[in-house]
Amino acid sequence: MSPDNRTTHFGFQTVDEDQKAGMVHGVFSSVASKYDIMNDLMSMGIHRVWKDAMMDWLAPRPGQHLLDVAGGTGDVSFRFLGRAGETARATVCDMTAPMLEEGRKRAEAEKMAERLDWVCGDAMALPFPSSTFDVYTISFGIRNVTRIPDALTEAYRVLKPGGRLMVLEFSQIPNDMMQKAYDLYSFNVIPKMGEVVTGDRDSYQYLVESIRKFPDQDTFAAMIREAGFEQVKYRNLSLGIAALHSGWKI
Amino acid sequence: MPDLGGDAEDRGPRAERHMLESLVCPVTQGQLTYDAEAQELISQTAHLAFPIRNGIPIMLASEARELE
Repeated sequence: MSPDNRTTHFGFQTVDEDQKAGMVHGVFSSVASKYDIMNDLMSMGIHRVWKDAMMDWLAPRPGQHLLDVAGGTGDVSFRFLGRAGETARATVCDMTAPMLEEGRKRAEAEKMAERLDWVCGDAMALPFPSSTFDVYTISFGIRNVTRIPDALTEAYRVLKPGGRLMVLEFSQIPNDMMQKAYDLYSFNVIPKMGEVVTGDRDSYQYLVESIRKFPDQDTFAAMIREAGFEQVKYRNLSLGIAALHSGWKI
Repeated sequence: MPDLGGDAEDRGPRAERHMLESLVCPVTQGQLTYDAEAQELISQTAHLAFPIRNGIPIMLASEARELE
């Protein structure tokens, strides 16, 4: 690692910034085909409840165009289109092409094919013109981004004035005892579960470490404001195991 | 007739033209030109050609081909 390179976190390891994207890419290429089933197991199905909570707060409306970044297998986009109705559109953007290919194979993707686009792209350098989208979502994706402020700046750029950002991400439990119990579960159970289901322990070890490294609710809210968003608010989900952050481009 | 790159007969997944036209270069945010034959999106401003694989445009500078 050369001294002049900027570094970032890859789970608990410190790596050169230019290495992280490739390492994250490796994780998700490795788990793509079993990503959905693994999410169900890891969260005991609760990630579905969280995504529904995201939609409740977002309240998708007809005619809106969603950009779903790190949207991988399409979970959030399918829900959004299901609620917003026939005139809405969604663009799923993910850095990992195999995740997009998995998503496009799903039954919902075929039903909604006319209203869905699949684009491989980087959250820090989006291939979309400024002021394009009504809604920007990123669900369990932002903690994998090398430079989170750059991704938030890009989110702000591609949103139309009046557009809304919503981030769903693992967060920190405000209660220390509960956080300890959760850490025990996540560090002991999840990598093992990952090994059994996907044959890939390291990827899930990375996942739990990256969750622990992600900033707490208030710190992340401040980062969103820093990118230019207004009326930034958050809601804890399941005691703060995850959180939803919302902001508006005014 | 121009090749629209989306034959109804061709059931392999192909990117839709309107979607491709809505993209910009991720490096310069400049315009892209669609090369249907090579299945590439060309950014003259960045001197990069972005590949389209299985109908999915790969808009990553790290995956792009440098133009001479």
